[in-house]
Amino acid sequence: MGGAEGARAAATDELRSVWVVSAWPVWLIGVLLLVAAGFAATFVPRWRAGVRDRAVAWSGARAAIDVATVSRDAASGRVAEADEFLARAEAIAAGRGGEDAAREAARCAREADRLWREAAGA
Amino acid sequence: MPDQTVDRLLQRLRRLADGPARWIVLAVAAASIAGFIGAQRQSAGVTYGRSPSTATVTEGSAGESSDAVLPSVDDMKAMVAAQPIVRLPGAVAEWDQAKVAAAIGGTDVRILVAPPGLTKDQQDKVRAVDNATIRVLGTRVSGGMYQATGSTPLEWRGQFARNDVTGLLVELIHALRKEDRKGSGEPTPADDDPGLWRDPTEAEVATVADGLRADGHYIATGATLKAVPAEAAAQAFGDTAPLVVALPAQPRDTAAPSYGARLSTLFPDRPLIVMYGAWIEYHGPHAADFAEITAASFYSRFGNQLSTYAHPQGNVLGAYLALVTDVRYAGLFDRPLPYQPFDPLRVALPALPWLFAACVVAFLLLSAAALPRRHPRVALAGLASATRGGVPALLAGLTALAVEVSGLTDATADPALTRAIASLGAARDALGKGLPDQHVAGLLDDAERELDAVGRAVAVRGYRPAEYLRGRLT
Repeated sequence: MGGAEGARAAATDELRSVWVVSAWPVWLIGVLLLVAAGFAATFVPRWRAGVRDRAVAWSGARAAIDVATVSRDAASGRVAEADEFLARAEAIAAGRGGEDAAREAARCAREADRLWREAAGA
Repeated sequence: MPDQTVDRLLQRLRRLADGPARWIVLAVAAASIAGFIGAQRQSAGVTYGRSPSTATVTEGSAGESSDAVLPSVDDMKAMVAAQPIVRLPGAVAEWDQAKVAAAIGGTDVRILVAPPGLTKDQQDKVRAVDNATIRVLGTRVSGGMYQATGSTPLEWRGQFARNDVTGLLVELIHALRKEDRKGSGEPTPADDDPGLWRDPTEAEVATVADGLRADGHYIATGATLKAVPAEAAAQAFGDTAPLVVALPAQPRDTAAPSYGARLSTLFPDRPLIVMYGAWIEYHGPHAADFAEITAASFYSRFGNQLSTYAHPQGNVLGAYLALVTDVRYAGLFDRPLPYQPFDPLRVALPALPWLFAACVVAFLLLSAAALPRRHPRVALAGLASATRGGVPALLAGLTALAVEVSGLTDATADPALTRAIASLGAARDALGKGLPDQHVAGLLDDAERELDAVGRAVAVRGYRPAEYLRGRLT
């Protein structure tokens, strides 16, 4: 009888089935990686750009506040409106918001600077 | 220089990532997933091999009808009422009268025996004879709610080789009388008396052996086999064609010659099939491995069909050979399989997951390489664009100017200078944090505007930024 032959065929069959089963995680992990890569490819540049834009906005806002402070010290008299603007800019800066907050702070600081410069020039 | 090599490699990767390579790799990955899923259907049937057999005993149009003519239902009812056992013309079933009479005892059991091979309508007519206790259609025995069927090789041999339904009748009569056979002490009737088989005479063996040597088959007079189905025979036993002996069904009351054992000693290495009516015996190589299981499977599956209809022996042999092929392909007994064509998909399939994995890795690498760089080069406007060293050089130059001019300013220029210094400080911070050059350049522009005002205000020429930087940097 070809018992050995049959046993070998059965063993091969079994091995093959085991092998096929063990290949499943490759597909699963591969598909998950592809999906993750798709998300990452969109998300990472956006996130990076967001971080950079916020840093840029705050850098600009802080520079504007510094400049406005200098203009205040140089101005001859008090300008109530400008004081108010600068206080608001500093309050926003202390609150540490996002990009919009930074832009608003910069706008206030520039407005205050303009008022003080006008006051100094007058 | 390993650094240079890595650098060049990265450069090439980036160039590759900007092209369509990334999407080609993704498409290949998707295609391999599709291929893998498509192939799942093909590996669903797990068999030792794919059996090519197709033949079965099919209902109708296979020559199993006997064209028998039945009396009308009323006539049959009258006949059954007149006598307890009615044999219609063409009926083949026989039984041991004494044993059946003993089982019947004193009760009123009426038996209607019809020929095999009736059409469905004719069978319905036979069933409509409701005063018959037991109906025998061919060798199929039924009555009341019951149908008696054989379950051992001996029972099947009696039923199909000799049309002997003694055992089935007795079983059914007991069932109808709701008697427990074991409790009654009566012995179970012998299904097939071994004494009714005898060794064949030398003359008989010589006749059959001569036929086998000449044609590979021997068809006795009265046998319904026309020819051995060649293709089914070749599939069933590999390269060796089986020897076929076809005999008609044997009479029940005389001893019949049992050819199998004698012939298998004459042809030791050939598969040998001996048919008595619808009964098939196998003798030859590997008989112990499969003959019994094949016979059991064949007669339990087709017994009903074979007993009811008058199949020619060619039909029966074809179905049997097909079943042998199925059994062989199921791997139950060991014979070499016929050549199976090379299937490239089966061979390529195991590589598919790794091809997919490679595509995923390549896609990830290319995607990572395709991410925008941290500091993209942006064309700068104003002074920064004219300055060779870029933004850092401009910052250094303006800072130097601010320091130099600070000794010359008066009260009117001081605020502007201080503002310029504040802007320069902000620009230095931004540069240190790695913010984009554009932003730093914007801050430096503010500083430059203030310094320009300072340069115009001081008495000494050459301190306006444009003039100052032209001397220093360009």
